[in-house]
Amino acid sequence: MVTKTEENQLNRLESQVDNGGSGAWEYLCLVRKLKLRRSDKVLKHGLSILNNPSKRSALGPEEWTLYEQVAVAAMDCQSLDVAKDCIKVLQKKFPDSKRVGRLEALLLEAKGSWELAEKAYSSLLEDNPLDQTIHKRRVAMAKAQGNIPGAIEWLNKYLEIFMADHDAWRELGEIYVSLQMYKQAAFCYEELILSQPTVPLYHLAYADVLYTLGGLENLQTAKKYYTSTIDLTGGKNTRALFGVCLCTSAIAQITKGKSKEEKEGAQVQSLAAKVLEKDYKQRAPDKLPQLTTALKSLTLSS
Amino acid sequence: MALGFAIGVFGVLILFHAAYSTIQYRGLLKITEEEFSGPPFNVVIELSLGLVLCMWAALTVPGKFLSIHPDSEENRIVSLPANLDFMIFNHRGKVFPVEMDLKLKH
Repeated sequence: MVTKTEENQLNRLESQVDNGGSGAWEYLCLVRKLKLRRSDKVLKHGLSILNNPSKRSALGPEEWTLYEQVAVAAMDCQSLDVAKDCIKVLQKKFPDSKRVGRLEALLLEAKGSWELAEKAYSSLLEDNPLDQTIHKRRVAMAKAQGNIPGAIEWLNKYLEIFMADHDAWRELGEIYVSLQMYKQAAFCYEELILSQPTVPLYHLAYADVLYTLGGLENLQTAKKYYTSTIDLTGGKNTRALFGVCLCTSAIAQITKGKSKEEKEGAQVQSLAAKVLEKDYKQRAPDKLPQLTTALKSLTLSS
Repeated sequence: MALGFAIGVFGVLILFHAAYSTIQYRGLLKITEEEFSGPPFNVVIELSLGLVLCMWAALTVPGKFLSIHPDSEENRIVSLPANLDFMIFNHRGKVFPVEMDLKLKH
């Protein structure tokens, strides 16, 4: 999870390093810690450190981690010879290393030779059958080749063993949403919310999936999760506010003919509408009339 | 910061002195065989003074307090980490040529 302070720090370091300042090593450490995908910048600044022998020796034992990071970034930017050189250096230092073997198989994957990569991964798995990253790379390979059902199958098998891996659940949920299998995607997001209940983005995604599924129960649950997102973000998440308004009007439309017992749903909707109007007035005042007409049409249609 | 630290040490010394006076007072009461109901009034004042000094030092010495609200401006989650374990390499970035002549020189 990238918080706002970390993002500010990252942007500051990035601008500082891009304009030719120092601090490239801190930038690379921060990117590694936050697990971001800034491959072009990592490649450029990492190579500037590695090509400078004095800076390289100043790193000490962390030099090899930098080689690994630059190798992966080079593969992402399709500079495969840079990646090969880095892996060669690592191989000389650590022969017979599983980590370097994994990098070599990753290089085969980046080159596009899927069968060779598959063979390399299977041989690595024979030595240690419970290596999580290799299982995940197999899923990624299936996804890269366009074999989405195969990727789903591999990922399900992986999750049967390693049920606590929330990255894998997130990946599976996103794959299901891309295939429009929303019921299964809802299950994945439920697992994510169970393991990390304080991340509002998961609540929001779950509510979105439920709203897409439709039906009275799903809409009511979606409204509950939109409100929990508003609660967790202190009322600042615009998407959740809109979600609450849309859910209330959709529920009211479904229950139009039936008995109208509770009107407390209207209270949440009016509160959300007020917050939205205040937010728009502050940040985008020229769009405010469109917002007010849209909200009015929502309440009128209910 | 050094001032806060010094005041904190001074407050702790005052507390120790108050404890010592109370023990001495109890010894005196044992000699005169009276009951020990509580420390004398000036020891109570000394205790409260020590309390105030130590609390002030404890609040100023550690420096800036960080926010604990999950939705405050510094703590709010901006983005989820990009799932790097499932990263694939045949994306559209393949057709972009590398701008500079990047090579590992050894």
